[in-house]
Amino acid sequence: MAVDVRDDLREAQREAWQHIASPGSWWTGAQRVRIAEVARAAIGDDDPLPPWVGLSGSERYDDDGLVPTPAIDVAYRIARHAGTMTESVYETVSADIGELPYVELCTVVSMVAAVVAFHRNAGLEVPPFPDAVAGDPTEEQPDELASAGLNWVPVAAPADQMAAVVQAYTAVPAGLEMTWRLGAAQYIPNEEMVHPDWMRRPDGLTRPETELIATRVAQLRECFY
Amino acid sequence: MLSWSSDHDGDTVDLTSIGSGDGLVGEHAEVLWRFASACGERNDDELAAARQAVIDAVDEAFMVDAAAVAANFEMMTRLADSTGSRLNPAHHEHVAPAAGALGVAEAVSRR
Repeated sequence: MAVDVRDDLREAQREAWQHIASPGSWWTGAQRVRIAEVARAAIGDDDPLPPWVGLSGSERYDDDGLVPTPAIDVAYRIARHAGTMTESVYETVSADIGELPYVELCTVVSMVAAVVAFHRNAGLEVPPFPDAVAGDPTEEQPDELASAGLNWVPVAAPADQMAAVVQAYTAVPAGLEMTWRLGAAQYIPNEEMVHPDWMRRPDGLTRPETELIATRVAQLRECFY
Repeated sequence: MLSWSSDHDGDTVDLTSIGSGDGLVGEHAEVLWRFASACGERNDDELAAARQAVIDAVDEAFMVDAAAVAANFEMMTRLADSTGSRLNPAHHEHVAPAAGALGVAEAVSRR
């Protein structure tokens, strides 16, 4: 099926794939691609593991030591069973891999979920991940981090001055920026969020139609937020 | 956001309709609800049919926009649930009826 995808959306998703394959703040490009591959496989798994079973302990994963197994397991769980995540799981995993690497992992998994879902939804083949880009992680982080009342994860200070989903990735600035760039192309540009009459183009989705889709998907994912 | 935008539009949505698909309001609401449901579920035949129904009702560009919105909320639900995102407690009173209507008030992801 040939589907004409508007240029801004195609470009944002291409950038997301390239972003994933590039060195991050705390993971190398090769590690990020591995996390992304796990997430993609989890999303498409016709016989998914239960949330409490780690992928790394199953016969489905051949551990070569590239990515610590707690990261592999939580990537699978977030990709496939995000609604079952608990604070104790977060605390256990972040104690193993670090809080900021955990946040970066979340940015990778959530972007994979978006791009894979778009292609499936539109009847298109999901593009392969680019080859991993060599290089060390940048160790970029905000000048000051803070514990948040509205999230488990640390955020850029000052905490809780904005909605939880807006501040959630602020501890990993590059992942935050790419996430919101995707969001602008897929959903609504951030600056238009407050406008109930905003439409991407004449005869396009109205805001209530957009929110109908959003609400239905969130409900199916059992996402309280 | 659905309640807010539909109230503004003058077609207040009964949020219980999001679970059942019954009683939706708006010209394209039924076809979009079917498509969003199929995007979130795992039946490829139904997804293909729902996708074509959107194209037939409007056009392909409309379907692409709808597919992208659905995809965005695959991203945002994972963002929210992996980072323990909570609603501001000051908003709980306002949100509780909506959560009940949507059937997510007892979800594991409630924090």
